[in-house]
Amino acid sequence: MAYRRSMDEGHPLRTTRRRAIGRALAGCLSFGLAGVALDAAGAGAGSKAGDARIFKLALEIEYAEEAFYREALRRGALRSELREYAHAALTQDGQHLRLLRTALGSAAPARPRFVFGDKTKNERAFIDTAAKLEDLAVAGYNGQAANLTKGGLTVAATIVSVEARHAAWIRALAGEVAAPDAVDKPITAAQVVAGLREIGLRR
Amino acid sequence: MNELERFLDQVDRDGALAETRARASRRRFLGGALAALGAAAFAARPARAASGLGANDVDILNYALGLEFLQAAFYTEAEQSKALTGTTARAARTVGAVERAHVTAFLKLLGAQAIKRPTFDFQGVTENQQAFLKTAVAFEDLAVAAYKGQAPRLRSDAVLAAAVGIHSVEARHAAWMRQLFGITPAVRAFDRPASRPQINRIVASTHFVSAPAKMSARTDPQFTG
Repeated sequence: MAYRRSMDEGHPLRTTRRRAIGRALAGCLSFGLAGVALDAAGAGAGSKAGDARIFKLALEIEYAEEAFYREALRRGALRSELREYAHAALTQDGQHLRLLRTALGSAAPARPRFVFGDKTKNERAFIDTAAKLEDLAVAGYNGQAANLTKGGLTVAATIVSVEARHAAWIRALAGEVAAPDAVDKPITAAQVVAGLREIGLRR
Repeated sequence: MNELERFLDQVDRDGALAETRARASRRRFLGGALAALGAAAFAARPARAASGLGANDVDILNYALGLEFLQAAFYTEAEQSKALTGTTARAARTVGAVERAHVTAFLKLLGAQAIKRPTFDFQGVTENQQAFLKTAVAFEDLAVAAYKGQAPRLRSDAVLAAAVGIHSVEARHAAWMRQLFGITPAVRAFDRPASRPQINRIVASTHFVSAPAKMSARTDPQFTG
């Protein structure tokens, strides 16, 4: 089904979540200025081995997303636009997954087990979890940008913006402010794993 | 077909945008007028490096600032035109505030090295909701491709961290504007980067930049004899 113009008007934004945009950016900025002196060697200090470690982390994220959308669609709780969203996200995250598996070859970790529980059972829980998962993906990829080689970063950058599109798409469907922040804050690898565990990762 | 429309076709593989395009006000969008000095607006180069930031990163940040100036002016003008209603008006306010915050952040970061704000003429696209949304989709997709193209070229880790954090926000905006326009927010699994010449050509083709950016006075070459 083609994506139809159908939800333009009439979805009141649950707005008023006016973020302190200036403050967030100021933080990012001072971090930027403080960091300048520290990295005289320049960015891109990554290595092939480093890229592989990061791609393994990224693969865990993609495994989680793919499993989540697959289960949600199988359980059949999603209607119309949410189904369409889940199909697109499943397909695209599935392509990310396959690319990363191919890149890692025999070093690719096996598919972990996930227990999503009620998170795939109804639309409200699905929306909240999907937004959380996609935000986690964005922050996780962003958090590794400076650790990747230029080649690794080029690949990761083609993926992370698609994760960000998913995050905004699901929020827009829910009538929420789709992009509340001026800058996406990165998270560490440990925070990625902790976030995935909270959502359902059982390795 | 001009460059921006070619770009739209590339990002719109499912054809939904092309279909909607027919309904949007075509005449004024990207129309008419002699080619302004659009490309020049984004080709300004710093005379020397700002303290702390390398010349390479200053150059890229100024290029990003040019795109942020364009977006901020676009949303601000759309807000002021009162042509937007409902969800679209509210989304435009939120996104506009963010783009203005990006401008402010880059200006602070670049200090005296920053290019000056160009002047823009949006050819009427901010006065009609459909034309606004179509242009917003194009700008946001363009910004995503532009940041993606430059991220691997940045030398400073700190600047890179800021740039990737903005890159993904632009992608959220792109998806949001697409959703409001009624087209698929995420068309493909991998978003492609675009080079600076590609971006400059597309921006120039719009004739939206009516007077190019200049280097601020303090960074102009100085002839002290």
